[in-house]
Amino acid sequence: MTSVRAQSLEREGSVGDRPVMTLIDVEKHFPIKDGVLQKVVGHVKAVDGVSLEIRRGETLGLVGESGCGKTTLGRCISGITAPTGGGIYFRLSDVDRAALEDILATPGKERTPEQRKRMERIESRHLITALTGDAWRAYRRNCQVVFQDAFSSLNPRQLVKDIVGRPLRIHKEASGAELTERVVSLLESVGMGRQHLFRYPHQFSGGQRQRISIARALALDPEFIVLDEPTSALDVSVQAQILNLLHELQRDRGLTYLFISHDLGVVKLMSDRIAVMYLGEVVEQGTATELFERPRHPYTEALLAANPDLDADVDKEIEGLEGTVPDPANPPEGCRFHTRCPVATPICGWEVDDAVTWLSVETNLLDAMTAVERRSNFDATLAFADDGSAEAVGKAMTAGSVPPAMAPALESVSVDGSKVLLRFLPVPPVELEEVEPGHVTSCVLHTSRRREL
Amino acid sequence: MADVAQPRTVIPPATGALTVRLRRLGEVTVQTLRNPVTVIGLVIIVLMFAMALLAPVLTTPNEPNPYQMPRDWTALNEPPGTPGHPLGTTAHGGDVLYGVIWGSRTSLWLSLIVVAVTVTIGTVVGSLAGFIGGKVDEILMRVVDVFLAIPELIFALAIAAVLGPSFSNIILALAIVYWVKYARIIRGQIIHVKQNEYVDSARVIGDTKFRIYLKDVLPNSITPVMVQATMDMGAIVLVGATLSFIGLSEAGLAEWGVLVSEGQVGISTGRWWASTFPGLMIFLWALAFNLVGDGLRDVLDPRTESR
Amino acid sequence: MTSTAAAGVSAEGATRALVASVQDLSIHFKTKAGMVHAVDGVSFDIRDGETLGLVGETGCGKSVTARSFMRLVASPPGVYAGGKIDFWSSETRAAGGGPVNLLTIADDEMLDIRGNRIAMIFQDPGKALNPALSIGNQLAEVFYQHRSDELLEPLGPNAPVIIRRAANQESGKVERVLLKLPPLRSKAAKVREEVEDHVAAALAETQIPNPRKIMDRYPHELSGGMKQRVLIAQALACNPDLLIADEPTTALDVTIQARILNLIRELQQRRRTSVLYISHDLSLVREISDRVAVMYAGRIAEIGRTDDVFRQPLHPYTRSLMAAVPSSRNKRGELAAIEGTVPELIDPQPSCRFHTRCPYAAGVCGEVDPRFLRHDFDHGVACHIYDEPAELGIRPDELPSYERRTR
Repeated sequence: MTSVRAQSLEREGSVGDRPVMTLIDVEKHFPIKDGVLQKVVGHVKAVDGVSLEIRRGETLGLVGESGCGKTTLGRCISGITAPTGGGIYFRLSDVDRAALEDILATPGKERTPEQRKRMERIESRHLITALTGDAWRAYRRNCQVVFQDAFSSLNPRQLVKDIVGRPLRIHKEASGAELTERVVSLLESVGMGRQHLFRYPHQFSGGQRQRISIARALALDPEFIVLDEPTSALDVSVQAQILNLLHELQRDRGLTYLFISHDLGVVKLMSDRIAVMYLGEVVEQGTATELFERPRHPYTEALLAANPDLDADVDKEIEGLEGTVPDPANPPEGCRFHTRCPVATPICGWEVDDAVTWLSVETNLLDAMTAVERRSNFDATLAFADDGSAEAVGKAMTAGSVPPAMAPALESVSVDGSKVLLRFLPVPPVELEEVEPGHVTSCVLHTSRRREL
Repeated sequence: MADVAQPRTVIPPATGALTVRLRRLGEVTVQTLRNPVTVIGLVIIVLMFAMALLAPVLTTPNEPNPYQMPRDWTALNEPPGTPGHPLGTTAHGGDVLYGVIWGSRTSLWLSLIVVAVTVTIGTVVGSLAGFIGGKVDEILMRVVDVFLAIPELIFALAIAAVLGPSFSNIILALAIVYWVKYARIIRGQIIHVKQNEYVDSARVIGDTKFRIYLKDVLPNSITPVMVQATMDMGAIVLVGATLSFIGLSEAGLAEWGVLVSEGQVGISTGRWWASTFPGLMIFLWALAFNLVGDGLRDVLDPRTESR
Repeated sequence: MTSTAAAGVSAEGATRALVASVQDLSIHFKTKAGMVHAVDGVSFDIRDGETLGLVGETGCGKSVTARSFMRLVASPPGVYAGGKIDFWSSETRAAGGGPVNLLTIADDEMLDIRGNRIAMIFQDPGKALNPALSIGNQLAEVFYQHRSDELLEPLGPNAPVIIRRAANQESGKVERVLLKLPPLRSKAAKVREEVEDHVAAALAETQIPNPRKIMDRYPHELSGGMKQRVLIAQALACNPDLLIADEPTTALDVTIQARILNLIRELQQRRRTSVLYISHDLSLVREISDRVAVMYAGRIAEIGRTDDVFRQPLHPYTRSLMAAVPSSRNKRGELAAIEGTVPELIDPQPSCRFHTRCPYAAGVCGEVDPRFLRHDFDHGVACHIYDEPAELGIRPDELPSYERRTR
């Protein structure tokens, strides 16, 4: 019990006064194995360089479509999987963060011994993958998860009492009659009660199961909870119950949430700040109102335009997006959204793959292609079976039938016999930039790179 | 179908974990007994077990080794109904009834030992492979592949042949062969169960790997093994009898396979009883366990269980 | 063209011809605990060329209703306990014929209607496609099955019987060998080309880029949105009179969902196909439907023109459902949740199914089945609030009302 009190003491203060989770350049790449020897032939870049900060008492919404990496990021933060790059820090103070960023900016070999020592000290206290002993236990107690699927997140062979009481038992907080009472009070705090103690999960409805999951997450009185699509599997009427409950718990217990969802309406309602993810990267981040009223990224705009909304004008039609999400093992150059972006510009990262995709989707000229010799993603030679096809491709690419934004990015197209030499203007990767206080975006239409246009 | 609200049975408030678990056990039992075919199988099994248990009461045990057939050299090839030999005698003066009754004991020993040993080895190996994964899985599964590449019967035959003809060697041979199947089943189940979010949840609350294995993974993986083990209780007696039949156990053992083998020469000359009664027992034994195994599968199948 | 029968049936004062009319449909499921009344006296019309949205939460019976149009409800445990589904195909209507009852027609008649006059698309496009067949072959089957006459057109009226049989996919082994021999080969090839043209055209209509290339692909090579397009192409291949869409975008991302929704709407308008669109998502249904029917616990709670229903919902359930959708009107923590859960539908007593969760319920709600009342032109509701006390044999103050919150 003392530890609990110590924690709540520690937790006094105002909302947002210190970070709970700090993500610096987090990467999670899954190896793609192939062949008999299971050789690694590439990596699916599920999360590719995400930096975020979640401050005490706030709700950060994480929104994006399936496969954008939001769930993987949630799993990294909650310690279920280890990131393959970057760092996730628990309760990293602003001072330490500044120091750490300073050190990280220095290349590894040039760091002074003091810098190394400082870094080691910060990591052993805050980096979740390096924590041990008490620090690890503190992180484990304070970071909990509620999953989307309340069917698979409760062990079908355990009784509610064992499921909700398990964290208490593991951390030796209670046993016997005291444990039962604690479980009852947890169940009561999520709108259930003593009569549910000795039942199996399958005897409950979806909404009730989600309540049990929440009770389990609350058992150790955590500071921070990752909510991974907590209401996606529920009906609207039940979703409303759960969303209200989550808000009530946050208010009463000073909880910090990471709210992951694909549902814009839900995220808008529940979040103080929202980060939008696309293909492993955060493309825009800002306060909920800012983001919804003045989106500064075409992808966010596209999400909003596609979202059917009961509040919207009846005559306002929803709009979708062209094309499909590119392969996360081989993400596009520049802005990753440029392949589907309705307002793409010449500096958004046009590359050889875009030319090949265009040839295959819009023309039949690709059938004759035999090979692509790539010097870089911006510079390649396309080999064709015969001179005629090469000629036709060359003509098509120069005649202005390519997408209007791609044409100026084509530095040169030359036909050499049965080969077509393609060169695009190389562009650097896009960077997140603050365009208004607290509002960051990576879209070149809004950042300092606008000047290049 | 999925759109239909699943009826949730109304459950009176329970007072403790034990009552709930007992009630659940009761429910499963009732559900199992609702299938008449399963009940038939169970009845046969109970009778067989009773027979094995009461063997020393039903017959006078042969001295010094009751598992050896008593020989009555005064009554060779007597047909059923002969006084003192209600099921007749064999060509060597063995009482068929004695063989049938003590054979049930032999069979029970055989199947219990083999199933217990193979389930244990199989569960351990399969769990290591499935739960740890990676290199451990690779290596263990290649070992399993090697075992699987050899036909069971021939493999058992080879082992028994090398170790010499004796019933205990048959047990050993079958144990060596049969664990592979369980290792496979449990590994597949564990890999599947591991992906459930309750396993992740357990990690998030800080539980140790071993306890996650014991509480979350194993209990949810074990049911197919239980079904398979039930069926193998029957199958193993069948294979054991086959091995005995071709002469891999001691002559004169009170074992159904041995009896069938010894009696087969008489069939062509009309002395059908020495082979038929033990053969019938083998058939009933295997059938009964298969019936019960099928019934269990229906009840324990996770897809129907949660209803 | 409007058959007299069709005009007469309309219970909702419709002036348009009907494609289908569901009357008092009841579908029960046999379980150990008793009969589950999954669909319990549902009536609605689908008018020619309209999109009717059928909206409701999990377990309300909307999918079962939709599946019963094609007799796809597994039986047992399903039981068609009553009512009928009248269907007018364009052909019978042109001939001035009457409707057929989809629940009682012979199996071979059903086969002729299924996939031909009534088509269906499902929630999970991955499961609805055969993984072992290329997209082209998959779609070709529809044409062979239902449109073989068109395939024979380029051969003129005197196509050999053997080719006719090939176009109907009835060829035996010997015939298949004969088809490879010179005199027939070119003709068989013509049929095949014709099929490919049809398939490509069908795919192109769903805005699939480069359809000829897609035809060689297998389902697993396509994204979810692309698969759903293929299924839409397949469903619309025979120009059906009625398209049943059962949550076709639920498994898709929101940006893809918008495209599929617009595609369905566009094709529907161009071909004047009637659509029964099933969804749990109110905002989606509002987007696509001309009229909307709200289902709760196996019954229709309210039905009316989309504008009317969303602007002035009559049934307490419709109101609660709309209030529960997160929107900018709501403050955090103040969503109007509907307390409680959907009742079990095992051998239910007469009552309004919503009375256990309804904030305005009165005693009569738990005792008497509400009648379906015409509130307005084309807007009906099943709620005692709008009923006549005299009809129920109670005093006016015993009637539930919006002025009185009982919980």
